Amino acid sequence: MKKIVALFLTILLTVSCIGFAAAEDDITLDVIICQYGNNTTNWFTGTGINGKSFVQLFEEANPGIKLNLEVVSWNDVYTVVSTRISNGNAPDILNIDTFADYATEGLLLPVKDYCPEELYNDFFPAFIQQSVIDGTVWAVPDLASARAMYYNKDIFDEVGIQVPTTWAELQDACQSIKDFYNGDVYPWGMDMTTDEGQAAFSYYAWNNNGGFVDKDGNWALNSDANIDAVNFAVGLYQKGFTNPSPATQTRYDLQDMFGAGKMAMVITTNQLPTYLKEKGYSINYGTAALPHNDGAETGATGVMDRVMAFKDDSASDQAARNAAIGKFLTFFYSPEMYTGWVSMEGFLPAVSSAVSYLVKEDPSFETWLKVLDSCQFYPTAKAEWVDVKQGVIDVEQKALLGGDVKALLDDLQAKVTAK
Amino acid sequence: MNTILVRHKWEPYLWLLPSILLMTIFVVFPILIVFKLSVSEISKSGVVGGFIGLANFRAAVSDQTFGTVMMNTLYWVVSVVGISTLLGFIVAMVLNTRFHGRKVARSIVVFPWATSLVIQASIWNYIINFEYGNLNNVLLNLGIIQNAINWRVSYQVEFIWECGVGIFVTVPFVAFCVLAGLQSIDDAYYEAATVDGAGAWKKLTQVTIPLVRPALTVSTVLNIIYVFNSFPIIYTITKGAPANMTDTMVTYLYMLAFYDQQKGPATALSVIGFVILCVVAGLYMVISMRKEEQ
Repeated sequence: MKKIVALFLTILLTVSCIGFAAAEDDITLDVIICQYGNNTTNWFTGTGINGKSFVQLFEEANPGIKLNLEVVSWNDVYTVVSTRISNGNAPDILNIDTFADYATEGLLLPVKDYCPEELYNDFFPAFIQQSVIDGTVWAVPDLASARAMYYNKDIFDEVGIQVPTTWAELQDACQSIKDFYNGDVYPWGMDMTTDEGQAAFSYYAWNNNGGFVDKDGNWALNSDANIDAVNFAVGLYQKGFTNPSPATQTRYDLQDMFGAGKMAMVITTNQLPTYLKEKGYSINYGTAALPHNDGAETGATGVMDRVMAFKDDSASDQAARNAAIGKFLTFFYSPEMYTGWVSMEGFLPAVSSAVSYLVKEDPSFETWLKVLDSCQFYPTAKAEWVDVKQGVIDVEQKALLGGDVKALLDDLQAKVTAK
Repeated sequence: MNTILVRHKWEPYLWLLPSILLMTIFVVFPILIVFKLSVSEISKSGVVGGFIGLANFRAAVSDQTFGTVMMNTLYWVVSVVGISTLLGFIVAMVLNTRFHGRKVARSIVVFPWATSLVIQASIWNYIINFEYGNLNNVLLNLGIIQNAINWRVSYQVEFIWECGVGIFVTVPFVAFCVLAGLQSIDDAYYEAATVDGAGAWKKLTQVTIPLVRPALTVSTVLNIIYVFNSFPIIYTITKGAPANMTDTMVTYLYMLAFYDQQKGPATALSVIGFVILCVVAGLYMVISMRKEEQ
């Protein structure tokens, strides 16, 4: 009996070795995708594309390439990626927002090494420019979102006021709404949380001719325009025009308040209609440009995420690996896949071939694409961006507690430029 | 005879082997790795470089936020462990008396402890929410208040709420540790105390407390460790905001490592936290055990 068991185990072992030998020819790509919404996981690994998943469809179309694809929430992705890098186990393909640290530390492959030319030329050039360091492109854009001000039309009609375009008008509108509803409706939504406080900074700084960097691209965090901008924003809070806890109430909390009719105006992404629909809110709302200071130009905020490929010196055939990464990108950005992905989560596309498809399905996309044209983006290609991002959030939160904005921004500028 | 002796010598170790292996792989190794990382240079992306001495410790301690965070941690541990030990003791005394529905009461008491901390914290987030929270709804409907109250009016108040949630989820653990101690006390002690003319207070201080001290020591030491290391309550309710004013050491080092990408100082803080815990828990155990011996 023992002999039979031993024989059976030996055969099993041999067969499994043959199995591995056959599979060894396959290239397996480790892919990390960020979770953009409720449908992301189902689309990539479930049954979101006519009963199939992206992974399934890709593997069918590209025999010899396997995907080990993981969808990770935005809350966890930085933890997951840096832990994997520390353990020498970086993913092959990563979808995330920042890239400068990975590029400057020599962890990324240049895009030209793996991205087919036809696909490369399809990306909006302005987007590609956001991922350039020292003349090399290190990542490709996966999608974008633009920010606009949404306002509750019924509230504005009831109070009898016009949609504000300047900061002075905004203050007047807030005061009128506050007086009319006696505090039951928050006139203005403000998110200065660790999630997105950097966006709040840009809403006010870019609409006061300020910003993160000066015209030469150097950090200019403590410019007079920025100091005035943060003081103006904190002033709105101090006058009782905003939600009560801007340091802990995230964009999603604000969107819920807006959807429930408890907030008159909020600056958020072009995904808001999708969000309101999915949550079952039905309110009468409109969109407008972000209010700006008198004499300053309107600055729209654009946010763009990226896809990048990590080096893997242990790969036996680098050319085959690069080709496999190229095939992944080509498949992902093909109109059949990409338009479904972008419209499902309500984002804006990063490749021109998707535009005509999307506009045909939903003509309102065209307006957003125009907004996107005039958008300013965060200076994510600068290596200090992470410090700046966390730094401006800290400044805002300290200012909400009564800190001196000028002193705080001076400190931040000194800290960032000293590195 | 000899064989039995030999077998008895190695047999206990054999049975302990799986636990020792698990502890080594999942506890000892990670601790050693963190010690090594705390004196290594770590890039923003997470690439581990060479030895840099105590630079990470200096960077962590010299940050202005460090003082605030240490004070918060002290308030957090002392208030949560102290108050929940007192309340847990009272709850255990009540549950130890005979009354109808005692079993049901015991089951209900265990709920807050048995539920995941993230769920607990999220539920409390909803309860105290200004706009649609249950607390305001109930008070408004009962006519106790006329206008909704902002229960999160400042970060100090938010921190008190966080401590409150910490106490709420910790009380059951203390209660059940003490209850186990109370049930092991022989009635003969109380009878003897009654014969000697002891009143309720004397019985509590001279009989009950000395005899449940071992159980209290265990629950307090474990609670100091759990509460010091507790992450979900603060992370779910305030994420340490505004400007780290509600952070404790554990939430702060997480934010430092994964939001600010300062992994070196964050690992140094982990080591500092580990040492503090070892010293505090060790001291408490030594003092308690000496008292027991006396």
